[in-house]
Amino acid sequence: MSKTDKYVIEMHDVVKTFPGVRALNHVDFKLKEGEIRSIVGKNGAGKSTLMNILSGIYQPDHGDILVKGQLIKPMTTEKARKLGISYVHQQSQLVPALSIAENIFLGDLLTEKTGFVNWKKVRTEAEAQLGELDLTIDVQRKVEDLSIAEKQLIEIAKALFANAHTIILDEATAPLPKEDVQMLFDFVKRMSAQGVAFIYISHYLVEVFELCKAVTVLRDGKKVGDHSVSDLDQPELIHLISGEKVETFHRKHHKLNEEKVLEFRNLSKSGHYKNINFALNKGEIIGLTGLEGSGKTKLIRGLFGLEPFAEFGEITVDGSMFDAKDPEKAINEGIAYLPRDRHGLGIIGARPVSENITLSILKRLVNKLGFLILSNERKHVENYVDKLGIITPSIDQRVQFLSGGNQQKVVFAKLASTEPKVLLLDEPTQGVDVQAKEEIMKIVDQLSHQGIGVIIVSEEIRELMDVCDRIIVFFDGEIVKEFNTKDRSTTAEKVLMAIEGETKKK
Amino acid sequence: MKNKKVIIALLDNLIWPLLILIVIIFHFISDKFLTTFNITNILIHAAVLGILTVGQSFTLITGNFDLSAESTLAIAALIGAWLILPSEAPNFGGDIFLPVGLAIIALLVLGLIAGWINGFLITRLKMNNFIVTLAMMIILRGFMLVISEGNTMSGLPDAFKALGHNDLGKIPVSVLMMVIVFIIAHIIMQYTQFGRNLYAVGGNRDAALAAGISPDKHTRQVYLISGFLAALGGLMLAGRTGVICENMGSGMIFEIQAAAVIGGISLQGGRGMMLGAFGGVLLLSIIDSGLSLMRVSSFWIEIFSGLIILVAMTIDAQKVRYSTIPTVESKLSIKKAE
Repeated sequence: MSKTDKYVIEMHDVVKTFPGVRALNHVDFKLKEGEIRSIVGKNGAGKSTLMNILSGIYQPDHGDILVKGQLIKPMTTEKARKLGISYVHQQSQLVPALSIAENIFLGDLLTEKTGFVNWKKVRTEAEAQLGELDLTIDVQRKVEDLSIAEKQLIEIAKALFANAHTIILDEATAPLPKEDVQMLFDFVKRMSAQGVAFIYISHYLVEVFELCKAVTVLRDGKKVGDHSVSDLDQPELIHLISGEKVETFHRKHHKLNEEKVLEFRNLSKSGHYKNINFALNKGEIIGLTGLEGSGKTKLIRGLFGLEPFAEFGEITVDGSMFDAKDPEKAINEGIAYLPRDRHGLGIIGARPVSENITLSILKRLVNKLGFLILSNERKHVENYVDKLGIITPSIDQRVQFLSGGNQQKVVFAKLASTEPKVLLLDEPTQGVDVQAKEEIMKIVDQLSHQGIGVIIVSEEIRELMDVCDRIIVFFDGEIVKEFNTKDRSTTAEKVLMAIEGETKKK
Repeated sequence: MKNKKVIIALLDNLIWPLLILIVIIFHFISDKFLTTFNITNILIHAAVLGILTVGQSFTLITGNFDLSAESTLAIAALIGAWLILPSEAPNFGGDIFLPVGLAIIALLVLGLIAGWINGFLITRLKMNNFIVTLAMMIILRGFMLVISEGNTMSGLPDAFKALGHNDLGKIPVSVLMMVIVFIIAHIIMQYTQFGRNLYAVGGNRDAALAAGISPDKHTRQVYLISGFLAALGGLMLAGRTGVICENMGSGMIFEIQAAAVIGGISLQGGRGMMLGAFGGVLLLSIIDSGLSLMRVSSFWIEIFSGLIILVAMTIDAQKVRYSTIPTVESKLSIKKAE
């Protein structure tokens, strides 16, 4: 243990103003050698701005940066790198088509006198260097085949080879599979014991509690405080982040309609899922959970027609047989799908709020000649903007200029507009801040009260516990357990155990 | 954030101040510029460009483009004339002697077929749209040489030339055609489900698919439109010039794309209005005519056309730069540029 109480990073009184926004308002930030400190806050609280200033990407309007006690002015990206500060971004900076070894020696491949690359040496060197960090991984694997956690491991390793002593780790947008997180966190903890300091930025508070010793909370560009993680519990931290007491939303249990709106019978797709049997009632919310690749996501994407569906089995929607073909058909038959990847499949950023919301229902807004009745469209959109509390200066605003939470609400408005019978939600709260999460859960609850059956696919067990009537757990393509959240005996721990496949080995 | 929106709005509508500026400049340089005669001339020259720009804009808005439009224009005109004319010089036809009406229908169908093949290759065989339309452009131009054997066809019947040559009262039919095509295109894009779907497909293909809109179907449809309008443009151009030569419309594709893009239709897809493209067509035609009035050598005009394309693409690139969420990499490059 070479840890000391020396500060490796000190930022004093940092101010940064962007046109119209004071992104950082007299913020102090300190990091000790070997410390793992998290920075938490809502979207727009100033986390990224602070880190961009530390790594020299932005220049502060005011304030000083000290690295190992030495004043650095101005900080530039080159200086930051030389001084040992490394920023591991959400998006991987590795070259996907190249192997791990090639990425490690990128730009500096070991060549022979003849000018040819000595591949054997590249490989053995890469293995040896990773070995020093106790990482055993096949260095010939292509980076594009790695999981997000593995990519981050390699990026951290690269930074360490370049003698970094402070590593900024920006959260992966998706929650990582459990075993990957464990691998990544173990590595980070090991490195911190050797004196490397980490700054961890995340929305996933569970992970913050698991990994970090200390946490710095930012809110609206100001520092709320530095805390030791052991002094806080999760609700307290949420309170600090949001600045107001956020009621974690909890669905009131009500008597369920016994009418089935969707039923799966013996659904199988080889290699992905088998013997899927369950029914969704009107107004019911079911959570599907399980590890990455357990088949839950494939099932609902297939049902909506985004990928090849089950080879065997039957589905009925509202009593009649349904044959999954393409999204157009699914929408016509009353199935709506909220994609996991909001930017990829959800919003059309360059088009206004109004067009995004009415995209799937234009045929209901035309007159006999086929022309859109714009006044009806406007009425429809304004109604939804109001109902869902979408914050936008006008309905003609391009969706790309809205915040993440509001973009998500626009997607909800689009789906609700189709007046679906079944709503499929794929990780609906991913990448939105704590408050927006609660609002989204409330919207889902409201929709269910209108008789819509909802399926939420998520790995956030606590959220599912709060909002679902039942939770169905997938493991390795099969349903291994079903929980009724009304039962007092249903606990997050039990759900977690089922996710990890414990019940299978009974 | 506010600044960004202002900049984007400015870039989107840049065509109108540009247009006014250029008119004022040419007016001060030449007193012949703002005469009825010259304006009519500008519009007649704008007509064919305009029709093809509409077709191109449909493809651009869905995130595609159609490089083959200029060759489709030429081959359609050629085949139409070939079906009518006798084979001896200076007609060089095919001795088929089809009635003019049927020949016109045939050439329009030919445009549709070219568009259909483009759409088929791109959506069914999942080929790259650049390669497909480039190959189509070269192939159709090749066919043209094969059929005409390098001869220039002339002696077209009046009925065949009517669309490009006649006047309706004081207004040239071709100009009227262009205006009508633009109005219809504008209505389709702004007031119909089809138009909205095209914007959605170009704006975010996957999101359109998830919203129940088939990107492939709409892509095939815009190529049909583009092929059809290119053939119509060919008929009009043949009517205007009265002859059909092997290099008819050659190189026009750059002018077409520049007109659309400078008018605010983004190469990225999903953005821009037909009205803006109309402005782009006017701007290019005015510059062309103004430079000729100033007796600028045609070599210099060539250079100017190149510059205009560059300006149009620069504006488009800035629009994209300002409207995408800046990633750290782009922040880095901005930083370095400072």
